[in-house]
Amino acid sequence: MSQEEYNIKSNINYLFFPKSVAVIGASRSPGKIGHEILRNIIEYGYEGKVYPVNPKADEILGLKCYKSVLEIPDPVDLAVISIPAKYVPAALEECGKKGVKAAAIISSGFKEIGNVELENKIVEIARKYGIRFIGPNIFGVFSAPSKLNATFGPTKVLPGKIAFITQSGALGIALMGWTIFAGIGLSAVVSLGNKADVDEADLLEYFVYDEHTKVVLIYMEGLNNGRRFMEAATKCSLKKPVIVIKAGRSERGARAVASHTGSLAGSDVFYDVAFKQCGVLRALNVEEAFDWARAFTELPEPKGDNVVIITNGGGIGVMATDACSDYGLNLMELPEDLMNEFRKCMPPFGSPKNPVDLTGQAAYDEYTKALEVALSDDRIHSIILLFCQTAVVDPPKLSEVIADVVKKYGRCKPIVACYIGGEECQKGMKILEQNGIPSYPTPERAVSALAAVYRWVKWKKKMLKKLEVK
Amino acid sequence: MTPRELIEKALKEGRTWLYEDEAKLLCSLYGIPVAKSKVAKSKEEAIKIAKEIGFPIVMKIVSPDVLHKSDVGGVKVNVKNEDELLKAYDEIMSNVKTRKPNARIVGILIQEMVPQATEVIIGGIRDPQFGPAVMFGLGGIFVEIFRDVSFRIVPVSVEDALEMISEIKGYEILKGYRGTTPADLDALADAIVKTSKMLLENEEIDQLDLNPVFVFEKGIKVIDARVILKK
Repeated sequence: MSQEEYNIKSNINYLFFPKSVAVIGASRSPGKIGHEILRNIIEYGYEGKVYPVNPKADEILGLKCYKSVLEIPDPVDLAVISIPAKYVPAALEECGKKGVKAAAIISSGFKEIGNVELENKIVEIARKYGIRFIGPNIFGVFSAPSKLNATFGPTKVLPGKIAFITQSGALGIALMGWTIFAGIGLSAVVSLGNKADVDEADLLEYFVYDEHTKVVLIYMEGLNNGRRFMEAATKCSLKKPVIVIKAGRSERGARAVASHTGSLAGSDVFYDVAFKQCGVLRALNVEEAFDWARAFTELPEPKGDNVVIITNGGGIGVMATDACSDYGLNLMELPEDLMNEFRKCMPPFGSPKNPVDLTGQAAYDEYTKALEVALSDDRIHSIILLFCQTAVVDPPKLSEVIADVVKKYGRCKPIVACYIGGEECQKGMKILEQNGIPSYPTPERAVSALAAVYRWVKWKKKMLKKLEVK
Repeated sequence: MTPRELIEKALKEGRTWLYEDEAKLLCSLYGIPVAKSKVAKSKEEAIKIAKEIGFPIVMKIVSPDVLHKSDVGGVKVNVKNEDELLKAYDEIMSNVKTRKPNARIVGILIQEMVPQATEVIIGGIRDPQFGPAVMFGLGGIFVEIFRDVSFRIVPVSVEDALEMISEIKGYEILKGYRGTTPADLDALADAIVKTSKMLLENEEIDQLDLNPVFVFEKGIKVIDARVILKK
């Protein structure tokens, strides 16, 4: 059995698609973690059965409460455990007897405070019964397709195609909240905490087959098994991009330095190289990571290296050109016939060279025509669309027009956009986003996102060739 | 001798590193070209080996107590004839005795004097997370000051090795600039691949430096090698 089959058969899928959930340690008091998780599960609209477990309550949030998981009359797939650490082994033992398939152990007070023994004990119990679990020391799990928000994070998480895995609890919750604000949809959120059982590699092997996920984004502090991560990440990256924010870049490993090589290798070097080798795209910060993830969820793969910039302003065009050079994107040298086509979309003082400058006079018609040229010609492979706010254009309307053109050509090539201006530009970009065109408030961010797509595609090609040779 | 026997011998003698001649032998066992050398235990033997190899030669101290040979004045280069050899022999011995009085001395390594070429470094290291990795860089200030090196987790293929070489900023120097002859990148890549194999097959190796490695228009040669074993 392959590791993937093992994971699926070994109950990891029950973290995301349980038919029933027990909340062990459900609480009547708002503000308590055991209450908020139950409330989130109910309010987000989970359609399976929910069983609060609390020996001291008869009913919580309108649901019948059970004294123990063993008292629940029906099968339980997933247990969310939020009770003091010392009671977790007994509760997990009961879950095992009940036939629970997977667990999210929210409770803190294990390895993170030096309580290794207690952590080993729960691993032992879980192994005995074949329970796969995330945690301990986590905020829970969210799964968009099954409408399960078993976290004590924000309630109204937007469904989408990004699977977000986080080792940090507080930052993870904060980012969940931020994605709602930024209008970014998620397919799943997994809090990993101490990673006593399920780790990044297990989840990559799961998400690579998850049809609801298009890209995996990981916030990581450290790995338990680098080699295994590399294997899983390579397999996943061949199908879906994996973006990692690895914190602790400045940290240097305490290494006995007896060789030159040793003195040149800080611990972060290995993460950096390992990521590169297994196709993982390393983002320097959260903003960059989600910028890239948004691009990956929407854009088709480019069929070649030729990038064209379409702009209504010289300055923003130059900035984008610089960014292309920094990120290694190939600005296409336009042949005469294409320049002639672009010339028809601009006043005589425009520039048909790449960046194609439609000038500040450009309005809906000019953008439409230029975009049609770029979309219809096979020699052009990707488009960076720039717009500086002017009085002759209403940004939301421009977005509608652009979305229509792109739709007409069936999303045949990657397009990223950048609008610079006031509130109307924000509205305009939101419309583009809704139409599957990733948009960014600066040209550098737009270029960086497109460059990430290229980096992934290039790695994939190289890796496939390597595998063929073998 | 097999790599295993080499390493076990050192460990048995209580050393956590290989003598230079052992490290070079290890390289040759993996097919990495090394500068010709042999350890002499007396002046007579030194002259005999030098004649076999051919003057000029390089002389280096071999001692379980001296890992950094130049630091104790234990290296003499461009030794042109027997007279110079005898003089250098005494100088090395007295230098080491002065600077490291209790050092046990195994002998003096007599090595061919290899014509100057582009210097590079090939390194090996073991990370607790990712296991063995290889390093490549241009020698001298490029490594020391600019830290201009590239790494790969092993195993590496020839393509990976070539990519490692092309990744460093000093790549242009290797390719040949302003009329200098280009270095043999294929031979270099081959040595990196073999180093990767050496690290994979010998768990006891913790770190290693092949430094410098001379790269010629055709072929390469390891001039000095240091292999550190796990404690």
